[in-house]
Amino acid sequence: MSEAIAVTGRRERVSRLTRLLESEKVLAVALLLPGVVILITFIAYPFVMALWFSLTSIRVGDAGQYVGLANFTKAIDDTIFQQAFKNTVFYTFWATIFKLALGMWLALLLNRHFRFKRIVRASMLLPFIIPTVLSAFAWRWMFDPTFSVMNWALYHGGMITDRLPFLSSGDWAMWCAVVVNTWRGMPFFAITLLAGLQTISPDLHEAAALDGANAWNRFWHVTWPLLLPVTLVVVVFSVIQTFSDFQLIYVLTGGGPANSTHLIATYAYQIGVGSGLLGEGAALSLFMFPVLFAVVWVQLRYLKRMENA
Amino acid sequence: MAGILAAHRAPVFAQANTVHILRWNDFVPAADKVLREVFAPEVQKALGIKLNVETVNANDIPARATSSIQSGNGPDIIMLLNNYPHLYSSAAVDVSAIADEVGKAQGGIYDANAQLNRVGGKWVSMPWSVVPALIVYRKSWFDEVGAKTFPKTWQEYHEVGKKLKAAKRPIGQTLGNTFGDAPTFTYPFLWSYGGQEVDAKGKVVIDSKGTVDSVRFMAQFWKDAHDEGGLAWDDSNNNRAFLSGDISASLNGASIYVAALNGADKFKTEKGAPLHTDCLHAPLPAGPSGAHAYHTAFNHMVMKYSKNAKGAIEFLRWAHRKENYEKWFTVQKGFAVGPTKSWEDHAMWKQDPVMAPFRTAPQAQKRLMGYAGQPNQKAAEAWNKYIVTVMYAQACSGKMKPEESVKWAAGELGKIYTGT
Amino acid sequence: MLIERKWKKWAYFYLPMALFILFTLFPFYWMAVTAFRPDPELYRTWRQPNAAPLWTLQPTMEHVIGLLKTTAFPTWLWNTMAIAIVSTGISLVCGTFAGYALARLRFRGSEFLGTAIFITYLVPQTLLFIPLADIVRDLHLGNTPWALMLTYPTFLIPFCTWLLMGYFKTIPKELEECARIDGATRFGAMVRIIFPVAIPGILSAGIFAFTLSWNEFIYALVFMASADQKTVPVGVVSELIRGDIFFWGQLMAGALLGSVPVALVYSFFVEYYVTGMTGSVKG
Repeated sequence: MSEAIAVTGRRERVSRLTRLLESEKVLAVALLLPGVVILITFIAYPFVMALWFSLTSIRVGDAGQYVGLANFTKAIDDTIFQQAFKNTVFYTFWATIFKLALGMWLALLLNRHFRFKRIVRASMLLPFIIPTVLSAFAWRWMFDPTFSVMNWALYHGGMITDRLPFLSSGDWAMWCAVVVNTWRGMPFFAITLLAGLQTISPDLHEAAALDGANAWNRFWHVTWPLLLPVTLVVVVFSVIQTFSDFQLIYVLTGGGPANSTHLIATYAYQIGVGSGLLGEGAALSLFMFPVLFAVVWVQLRYLKRMENA
Repeated sequence: MAGILAAHRAPVFAQANTVHILRWNDFVPAADKVLREVFAPEVQKALGIKLNVETVNANDIPARATSSIQSGNGPDIIMLLNNYPHLYSSAAVDVSAIADEVGKAQGGIYDANAQLNRVGGKWVSMPWSVVPALIVYRKSWFDEVGAKTFPKTWQEYHEVGKKLKAAKRPIGQTLGNTFGDAPTFTYPFLWSYGGQEVDAKGKVVIDSKGTVDSVRFMAQFWKDAHDEGGLAWDDSNNNRAFLSGDISASLNGASIYVAALNGADKFKTEKGAPLHTDCLHAPLPAGPSGAHAYHTAFNHMVMKYSKNAKGAIEFLRWAHRKENYEKWFTVQKGFAVGPTKSWEDHAMWKQDPVMAPFRTAPQAQKRLMGYAGQPNQKAAEAWNKYIVTVMYAQACSGKMKPEESVKWAAGELGKIYTGT
Repeated sequence: MLIERKWKKWAYFYLPMALFILFTLFPFYWMAVTAFRPDPELYRTWRQPNAAPLWTLQPTMEHVIGLLKTTAFPTWLWNTMAIAIVSTGISLVCGTFAGYALARLRFRGSEFLGTAIFITYLVPQTLLFIPLADIVRDLHLGNTPWALMLTYPTFLIPFCTWLLMGYFKTIPKELEECARIDGATRFGAMVRIIFPVAIPGILSAGIFAFTLSWNEFIYALVFMASADQKTVPVGVVSELIRGDIFFWGQLMAGALLGSVPVALVYSFFVEYYVTGMTGSVKG
């Protein structure tokens, strides 16, 4: 008798909980809670702190005082920062273009059937898998002025007589960084675009071919428009990562030669941590935020428009 | 009764007494071994201190120090280079007691080191060692171009360098953004031409005839005599280049020579002899304003947030005792020297005449960054932004004309020295 | 005709493919050669006649052995694995829940929350690590793996949420409605019907999150202090770069060995990864 009551009691409690979760609102809150808690504790809160730092003259071990926008104006005047800003835009722009173009091309190639397709697809991901700092070290040594394997190859191939200044010249070094970033990011583009390509029914291509379209036209008029949503999304994420990149330049050039390859993130680090000027470092880092915000906002609006269309 | 009390006390003391010290990966690995395999067990026996030695890449120490100080939690002792003690002075425990003791017992701490470790009349950190930077060069190659002794002035060095580079044996020097070999060259070079960052009152005076002359000379010297890849070098490139026989001379700590010594079967001259037999050391040549030197100081700061500052200080006191320090000192073979004058008389110096110039090298250091002002936070900021180094690098790469580059440096220094 | 077609195949497929493979995999080949190359050979400059950077006739295991015995590399591998698995787990749970909520439930502020979560992705880590050090200390997490296990989700959750949102949107609403008509609760329907369908998406998000955790550097550098707590990127960089002395052999060995676990994960799941992405981008 009591057992039956106990069972009924439990069922009552269980159904109370499930009834609560029937409500969309309650379920939503329950589902979103863990994620939101983590993000608030470990991003929102420190972000506000960092904002506060950027408005003070805080340095290591010394809380400093409120200085308003002084750190920001100092940054705008700073020629090294101006160079870093230009570099970041240059780096992001070119790396994204190359990654998109090469990634798309590779995705088109991988979309066909050929022997060893699985192995090739898997191995293509290797540059993306290996931790950035480690692959950047390998590249750094491949570009090393004294030991570069590239110089060796070009020299013995008779194409150069004196070595190429891969990392010793500011301009060359920035392009080298673009190459390494492209090498690293292209697989991600390729695999994601490949996924998108596989959702395009081959019938569409056949129909276009029957209408007399050649390969390029087929790509441009059929494939590309259908891939646009995926492309946009992948580009958004890639731009965010590349614009705030730190590890690659930190390892490849350290910001040199002559402060000419700094990115915003590496320069902010050098000022904030290297010189202990935390307030100024925070201000420098914050310059990334509005640019990223603008880029992302534009792309998200575009995506929304396409979704509604 | 006393025995029981002592027995009760010892284990408790040993349990709680850990000292975590953060140092760089020593360029002489045997020294780190001494810390872990000799110091640690011995200090455990002598003082009951459990020593936890952590070594990281020197470039990563500022990040660790910053986050430790900000979060109030980290190593008890942090090794700091150059004038970093000035940057972190507010987070330091006063170690004047040890400094005075060691100074008195060992003939006095070098002036330059004293300046780097003292803020506001107190010692905020304890000087541990100095790594002198001297030029290591290939004796036989210099002989071949007619330089029987190492050039005494920059003009002479330039002439010799021209001939060496023509024989595909250029001088190697880094002008990259790297903490060791670049500023240790560019700062004394600047001083030897009479240039300086600021005057005693803190006014930026780098834009002077002396500085412009030095930059102009350096740009020419670079093209005529140097491996131009040096613009991208870090602290390790010149080592590798020299050991591979790619360059004939380079400013460095003794690590190149020590590596050649330790790898006598690996590193050979083109004639097949061990490389180290063809190496000699010399100080930087003199400019119109004399010869100057900059040597990297290594200091230990006991952190205020530490829960065992007492143990940390005990450890340092113990480590600086002659019989203990000497174990670390001898394994360095002269790469790092002691912070006090008495180590100049140590028997180790008799072992290898090639290392002799390192013995008294710290005495040649009369100036520090931020000269003629103090080696304070502003000087540290200028140092960290590589302003002086970049001033030379820009002219050498042709990016800017010498006068423009000097004006650029003056502008950058101005922002640092007139800001809050 | 046949000859022309074959030529085209070579020009438009085999040649570009070969170039891609060369470009992508050459650094790995080179790393492998370096890892097994004896020290004296590593010192030959590019101009020297006996320089042979692409092969070695005297391969040696000394670097690999040195790496495994003289450094805490195995411990770093273990640490990184554990941290990556746990952070990925946490992020997947939070991301799946949040993705479902934002994609399938209607409630006030859902759009705002979706955008807000996405915006957190824009906050750079170089900005956050100093204040985070304070928070990590206050929560007594310093120098423990939990410091990373709880902070890595900050850049993993936004991406997982977005990816799974897209995936959930493609699942027809009818599935759920049928289940609920049959008497299932909302929560039950979510867990028993929808989640299994979304498995490819979840796997794909998981793989991506795993890779990102493995790759993280700055938080690990700052929050982990002792050698036995470090992760592979931080350990390799901070303990094998001894400036002047040549440890390239060990470095490259570390680089290769450090990628093996992730590569293994990928080799099992790459097909899922592709299908997973397929599903989410359809939406």
